[in-house]
Amino acid sequence: MARGKPRLSRVPIHRPRFERSMSLSTAPAPTASGAGAPILVLEKLDKRFGATHALKGVDLAFERGEIHAIVGENGAGKSTLIKLLTGVHPRTSGEVRWQGAPVPLVSPHEAIGLGINAVHQEVVLCPHLTVAANIFLGDESTRAGLLDNRTMLREGQSLLDELGFDLPAGAILSSLTIGQQQLVATARAERRGAKFLIFDEPTAYLTRQEAAALFKLIRRLKANGVTVVYISHRLEEVFELCDRVSILRDGALVGTRRIAETNENDLIALMINRSIEQIYHKDKVAFGETILTTDKLSGQGFRDVSVSVREGEIVGLYGLIGAGRSEFVQSLFGRFPATGGRIVWQGREVTIRSERTAMDLGIALAPESRRDQGLCLGLGVGFNINLPIFKRLSLGPLMNLGMESAAADKQIRDVQIKTASRTSPASSLSGGNQQKIVIGKWLNHGAKLFIFDEPTVGVDVGTKAEIYRLLGSLLQNGAGVIMISSYLPEVYELADTLHVFRRGAIAASHKFKDASHETILSEAIGV
Amino acid sequence: MSDVTVSRTRRGGSGLNVLLGLTLLALLLIMWLALSVETRTFWTANNIANLLRQGAMIAILAIGETFVIITGGIDLSVGAVAGFVSMMVALLLTHDLGLASTIAGAVAISLGIGIFIGLFHAFGVVQMGLPPFIMTLATMYALRGIGLLITNGATISITNDAFTGFSRQSFLGFPWTDGSWFEIPMLFWMVILVAVPAYILLNQSRWGRYLFAIGSNKEAARLSGVNVTAMIYLAYVLSAFCAAFVGVLLAMRIGIGNPTQAEGWELQAIASSVIGGTSLFGAVGSIHGPLIGSFILTTINNGANLLNLNPFWQRIITGALIIVVVYFDSLRRGKR
Repeated sequence: MARGKPRLSRVPIHRPRFERSMSLSTAPAPTASGAGAPILVLEKLDKRFGATHALKGVDLAFERGEIHAIVGENGAGKSTLIKLLTGVHPRTSGEVRWQGAPVPLVSPHEAIGLGINAVHQEVVLCPHLTVAANIFLGDESTRAGLLDNRTMLREGQSLLDELGFDLPAGAILSSLTIGQQQLVATARAERRGAKFLIFDEPTAYLTRQEAAALFKLIRRLKANGVTVVYISHRLEEVFELCDRVSILRDGALVGTRRIAETNENDLIALMINRSIEQIYHKDKVAFGETILTTDKLSGQGFRDVSVSVREGEIVGLYGLIGAGRSEFVQSLFGRFPATGGRIVWQGREVTIRSERTAMDLGIALAPESRRDQGLCLGLGVGFNINLPIFKRLSLGPLMNLGMESAAADKQIRDVQIKTASRTSPASSLSGGNQQKIVIGKWLNHGAKLFIFDEPTVGVDVGTKAEIYRLLGSLLQNGAGVIMISSYLPEVYELADTLHVFRRGAIAASHKFKDASHETILSEAIGV
Repeated sequence: MSDVTVSRTRRGGSGLNVLLGLTLLALLLIMWLALSVETRTFWTANNIANLLRQGAMIAILAIGETFVIITGGIDLSVGAVAGFVSMMVALLLTHDLGLASTIAGAVAISLGIGIFIGLFHAFGVVQMGLPPFIMTLATMYALRGIGLLITNGATISITNDAFTGFSRQSFLGFPWTDGSWFEIPMLFWMVILVAVPAYILLNQSRWGRYLFAIGSNKEAARLSGVNVTAMIYLAYVLSAFCAAFVGVLLAMRIGIGNPTQAEGWELQAIASSVIGGTSLFGAVGSIHGPLIGSFILTTINNGANLLNLNPFWQRIITGALIIVVVYFDSLRRGKR
């Protein structure tokens, strides 16, 4: 601490090295091994938030033109590191050197001036403006003091074309998919002359194709000498894309490895000191009676889906986003009732017209998006956990307050939710613990069939293992589970029966591990 | 380490509610103390009874309004509903329509009109998908128009003394600090009559819980099996019902029916609710908050009169108070 604020005039303001009119792909490619001096060096970088020691003396050097992955559990300090690098938070102590010169890095404006940009998981752009307007946001072209929309549209389009994005610059941003919006955010960073680009969980909401387009772009940026910092929970992406990987644990850097010299198990061990077998641990459970069967069920977004779930069984639904998996389970939960086919529940044919019907039958759905569908974020942890069972916790119309607190406390204990108290707002918890609330509230409800739609998106490896353990305990108690996942290793390791969805229908079905990753993937894509 | 923490999602916890309630109560008491020292007429049995009478109607409106605001909606029509109902009850009482022209019949029909208007609001919001602001803005205009059309712009005088006399009655009393006799006005008992069931509904019943859940995240509530449609109907019906009840009390108090009465009361009700800690974003609110909030506003008016302040100042003070209270509230609830 106690460093004087360096004079801002010493900060080298970056100018793009090549004209934007020049085709990016023809720019000379520096060596990826980073023979030159590192572009950004962190020395004993330290950050405290009050009593919390978020980053503990991190030493790290980023080379020019490398793709550097940063992995770690939730709370390991990745977000803090990004916020320091992008000038959102000032550091507590330590030094940052940009191209050899110490920089204060105390404001986002300064970071952008240097050429440090970040593309966030959830796109931070203006949904009602056009693509071009978003690319130029905060740095608009003007003519005589007025906005020059025509120039922005033209330049924006040529930038998109150069980057190889098939996007119209005049489209309204909200009409694009999240993946396309992310490409726009990247184009925006590119236009600002980014030399150092941070991607924070960019593929969390992307389809396979969109992710592939993004990877192509990232490699192109690298070829142009841009340093890319890539943050992801998906280790297979790290191995596919990155040159080096740094591992954070509890705010400290526990190691940096060349990708070629490490493997997934090695990384996981560094991140959490636990092996992959322990994560996907599943006790063998004997299958019981059939709980639910669908016979050629059709509805909005899916058709002719026939599946069945037995007691003690995990049925995995794998497929690309938009393949109809979520629509199918939402129809089972009465959100968008099915239009054709039959549902047989414990031997008797039923129609499910509303969420209430589904819940009364004994179906529980933990939806895909915690924030949009799963939680009342501003309300207490206990409130959220009890929401489906308020009826059971009341005498007539009046709540039994004692039972209410007892039920909440029991579930917080059983599911091991880390929270200060049952009245703390759900928003104050980490992503993994929020997911445990969503699961906990359905455990509370005590259903026979549990549907989990992407239960581990944005959740760290340690919490994933806990969530899988919870699934296991449901099976032990005689329930059945339908699990939707876009993360193949997860359904592959856990599902007893795996259905692959493609364009609204089941393309293939598998027994436990009777096909390879590659086979399943190609079935999902349809090649 | 997520970026979830948006300021308005930081709220919750009943402890917070109690704390805010105490702060507001302290503010109210300080104002009373200051006025008692400054003026000789404030702390008299007469004036306090008067203050309770003045504040009663806004308090009831604010309680009803709070149910809607907690679901994330707003009801701009409550003043118009009160005015319209005051006209309707006067109309019924001054005609000879048999049972409908008895006091009980007229009041029952008036409250029924309130329920109907509430159902209509909820229909517009849920079935037609209109924003609550627009839906209730529309009925605010239309109700005044319908009322004027029916009466042709005339004011209806109520000659039924049994009806109008009720607003001047009191129930229970005790000796005041200066030795005179203080009686609790009937209008204030009406506030209690509304507030107690409202409190139980909001805080002790599962429907109250559902209203908060809907205000926080409608989709999550729906996916948790909450009948969102029915709950939104409940909120708008409660608000319009309270407004109709106020319309009846208003007709009693001023002895006339006129659809242009209660102009601007919707804003006073919303202001009371907001001063009382209700969040216009939904999912945060209580019954005691708006109650204290409305009596704070009434005290400002009452005190300004006694202090011979220019009445225009009352509005300025009210505006400043809203900013200050809500600002401190948001500070306390988390940064930003």
